[in-house]
Amino acid sequence: MLKHNLLLYLRNIRKHKSSFLINLVGLSTGLTCVLLVYLWVFNEVSIDKFHENEASLYQVRRNVPIGQGAIGTFTSNSSLMLKALQEEVPEVEMAVAIYEFDGNARLETETKKLSAFGHMASDDFFKVFSFPLISGDKNTVLSDVSSVVISSKLASRFFGPDVDPIGKTIALKEGEEEIDDVFTITGVFEIPKNSSKQFDFVLPYKTFLKYRNPDYINWFSNSSSIYTLLKPNVDIKAFNGKMANFIKKKNENVDEQVFFTKYSDNYLKGSYENGKQVGGRITYVILFSIVALFVLLIACINFMNLSTARASRRLKEVGIKKAVGASRKSLVFQFLTESLLLSFFSLISAYFIVLLILPWFNNLTGKELVFAIEGSVIFTIIGITLLTGLISGSYPALYLTKFSAVKVLKGKIRTSFGELFIRKGLVIFQFSISLLLIVAVSVIYMQLDYIQSKNLGFNKDNVMIFERQDGLITNMEVFVEEAKQLPGVVNASFMQGGMTNFSNSSRGHTWPGQNEEDKEITFRHAHVGPEFIETMGIELKEGRSYVKEKPDNDSKIILNETAVKLMGLKNPIGTIINMRGPNREIIGVVKDFNIQSLYQEIAPMALLCRTEWVSNLVVKIKAGEEKTTIAALTKLYNKFNPGLEFNFRFLDNQYQQLYLSEQRVATLSKYFAGMAILISCLGLFGLAAFSAERRKKEISIRKVLGQTASQVTIMLSSEFVKLVLISMVIALPIAYLLAKDWLSQFAYKIPLHAGYFIGAGLAALLVAMFTVGSQAINAANKNPVKALREE
Amino acid sequence: MLLQLNNIFKWVNSGGQRIFLLKDINLQVEEGEFISVMGPSGSGKSTLLNVIGMLDTFDEGEYHFLDESVHTLKEKHRANLYKEYIGFVFQSYHLLDELTVQENLEMPLLYKKYKGAERKAMVADMLDRFNIVGKKDLFPAQLSGGQQQLVGVARALIANPKLILADEPTGNLNSQQSEEIMELFKKLNQEDGVTIIQVTHSEKNAAYGSRIVNLLDGRKV
Repeated sequence: MLKHNLLLYLRNIRKHKSSFLINLVGLSTGLTCVLLVYLWVFNEVSIDKFHENEASLYQVRRNVPIGQGAIGTFTSNSSLMLKALQEEVPEVEMAVAIYEFDGNARLETETKKLSAFGHMASDDFFKVFSFPLISGDKNTVLSDVSSVVISSKLASRFFGPDVDPIGKTIALKEGEEEIDDVFTITGVFEIPKNSSKQFDFVLPYKTFLKYRNPDYINWFSNSSSIYTLLKPNVDIKAFNGKMANFIKKKNENVDEQVFFTKYSDNYLKGSYENGKQVGGRITYVILFSIVALFVLLIACINFMNLSTARASRRLKEVGIKKAVGASRKSLVFQFLTESLLLSFFSLISAYFIVLLILPWFNNLTGKELVFAIEGSVIFTIIGITLLTGLISGSYPALYLTKFSAVKVLKGKIRTSFGELFIRKGLVIFQFSISLLLIVAVSVIYMQLDYIQSKNLGFNKDNVMIFERQDGLITNMEVFVEEAKQLPGVVNASFMQGGMTNFSNSSRGHTWPGQNEEDKEITFRHAHVGPEFIETMGIELKEGRSYVKEKPDNDSKIILNETAVKLMGLKNPIGTIINMRGPNREIIGVVKDFNIQSLYQEIAPMALLCRTEWVSNLVVKIKAGEEKTTIAALTKLYNKFNPGLEFNFRFLDNQYQQLYLSEQRVATLSKYFAGMAILISCLGLFGLAAFSAERRKKEISIRKVLGQTASQVTIMLSSEFVKLVLISMVIALPIAYLLAKDWLSQFAYKIPLHAGYFIGAGLAALLVAMFTVGSQAINAANKNPVKALREE
Repeated sequence: MLLQLNNIFKWVNSGGQRIFLLKDINLQVEEGEFISVMGPSGSGKSTLLNVIGMLDTFDEGEYHFLDESVHTLKEKHRANLYKEYIGFVFQSYHLLDELTVQENLEMPLLYKKYKGAERKAMVADMLDRFNIVGKKDLFPAQLSGGQQQLVGVARALIANPKLILADEPTGNLNSQQSEEIMELFKKLNQEDGVTIIQVTHSEKNAAYGSRIVNLLDGRKV
């Protein structure tokens, strides 16, 4: 029986190649989407799950009032927290404190200098986290104050691939917290790809405590991340309730709430708003899963529509088989077998498509996904394919087999209202989804375009930024002066941190005429060099900028407009305020400029001038002369830093990084939308064919009675235009709400005008008309006598 | 006695009016009979045949087939009954275009409980009996109408039914092909004892039968 069914199916394929191809293309496209997204989601949810103690591994967070009724959520904690948790909280099995370096540190052996990113972690680090140690004992690698554990990658960068680095020494120069010491390698670790933490070396936390200014070891100063293993059976909800006021009990003046979140959840659910967990990467995981499933569903619907549409040629078979005694069950089984076969054919072609485009997809998503054929993956994929086959096959199978033999063989099948309703409903559903995707793509694109072309308040073009390292530590100002003399250099200065994020903030400042509650206002601040404002093209509203000729900058301050407005200063220039040091004179006010992504509104900001804290140099170069200027700068850089590679970035590239996830969403949804509309049109094509077939007699009679071919074409097309119009009525309001919701997270956004929606509607309509039109013209031009004779 | 129809009525409701397709039909068929059903278009010939073949239902009356009361049987039992005892021959042959002659013959056996080897033997036997061994791998489209109907008859016979129902079996054939098929029916009836009921318009074909039933407006005349 199975053999007979297979044979029949294969011969049917051969005979009706086009509908087989439409189905195959549709379903394999759908399955490709699902496979890719599945691989991506599988990878996303596996991040940080490799730690053996993942189930009981928690991170300590603080909710802190940040003024104006808002609450900020922070992962940094006081270094005192470690001991307090270890000694006072019985629920804590083990705790570890980590100080994460702000940027790359410079490591040296006698022969090599390298930049690397590091952590300083307390003794139990390798017991709490399961970063596999290739050599070294996880109980003791960090117990000595001068020990260092390095990654296998760093080991081979320093010593070559096959050298055992244990016992060798590495010097850390001018590190953060002014660490300057020599460390002995006690262990080598590996970092799995699916770890959200990526670092090159680990120093003992003891070293951090040794170098840390004792003034900063208190409950006010938060420098470290704290992770704990909780004992089994600890109820996290009750535990969080118990721990909420832990810091308050230590120090009455600190109004902060402590809570613990599962470490492995942080990657996907890492965003907090006003003290509550909201969104995060999980939003994209869910979004793309839904979209991929919708694309697949659209393909399934195609199969249903095409199968039922072309029913007439299978109905004869059903009738004959029923007449010779086939039960409905056996026929349903036959049709389901066919749809399952088709979905497995599609799986095979999807598999090859995925293999082919995976590198491209990886590039797009910034992942290193591999399509490994292994247990759980196979299981899921086969499951999805089976489900696809069953879903798409069930309706045709039930539809085709329900008619009685006599009716079928006499050709007395009338399409009921219900069937038409279902079929039209399915098309409306397909087009609604396609429309949603089209609107989504255009809105995301326009918003990104808007953000990237928006005036940021400074000029990010042709600005190079690089780290202050090695010779620049001592001779930065000399370097800047010499750089300015180079022909292609417009200006040069330096700054603390980068332009995409002023990470430092403080509050509790005072100024004349201040309201009591304004003490809570949080200011962002950065230390910058002379002529920084000019180099960045920031507009000066009043006063002056820092210049080399006027020293004594320690007692001066420059504010942005927002700060002046919030502080309520009428004549800011010359006013003396207390901010990051007593009695500072305001010498300038700059127009607001954006230092974060445009999700955020501009914060009150202060620019201070102090060389010690500076971490980066910025050089503005002339457009069009990049190559020669960079070559000249490299030469100069090497004069100051012999043997060190000149690693620089352009600010506008860095700025794009801010919107990386949006860029990815935009690109991915572009492809998804394209696929959805393609598959939907394939479906429409099938349905138009069905309609033409069903109305063959009607068309013939109309033509015999004198209707022209073009009138018939319009009549047939309008049937489908109506469906697309209904989809528009359903989808566009939903699209509007979704777009509004998505845009609401941006502080600066495009207005949602009708153009996006009308445009999407017109696009769908045009594509649909084109698809249906060809079929309609074909049907309208047939010889009417032929159709009537067949009756 | 093979089958007996007592006071069979079948109707449809159209525009508030009851239109009778079959009206008070009484018919008794003995095993080994060859009956021709005649009558003008719309007289209910095919409907009667479908009722006998259990492909169609009726609204009133009794139908006994062998020892079973068809009118009291459930759908599934009825299907089993006709599957076992009845073979159909259609005017437009109704062979499956995608299957070869051999496969078309095998097809009905797939829905009965025969093993693969048995099926092969039965198909081979049938090909032999109808002299179409040479055509077993051809598709219907490669055969003439007469040859197709020959396969149609062979398919109807393959499971050794007691009764063959033929709805205008020669309606699409020319006179020579018609004659061959009718001769075949006669032979099957006389030599193999198969009971045949055929619907026909042709007096000549009807004459092959042992008895003629005439219908007019759903009534036996």
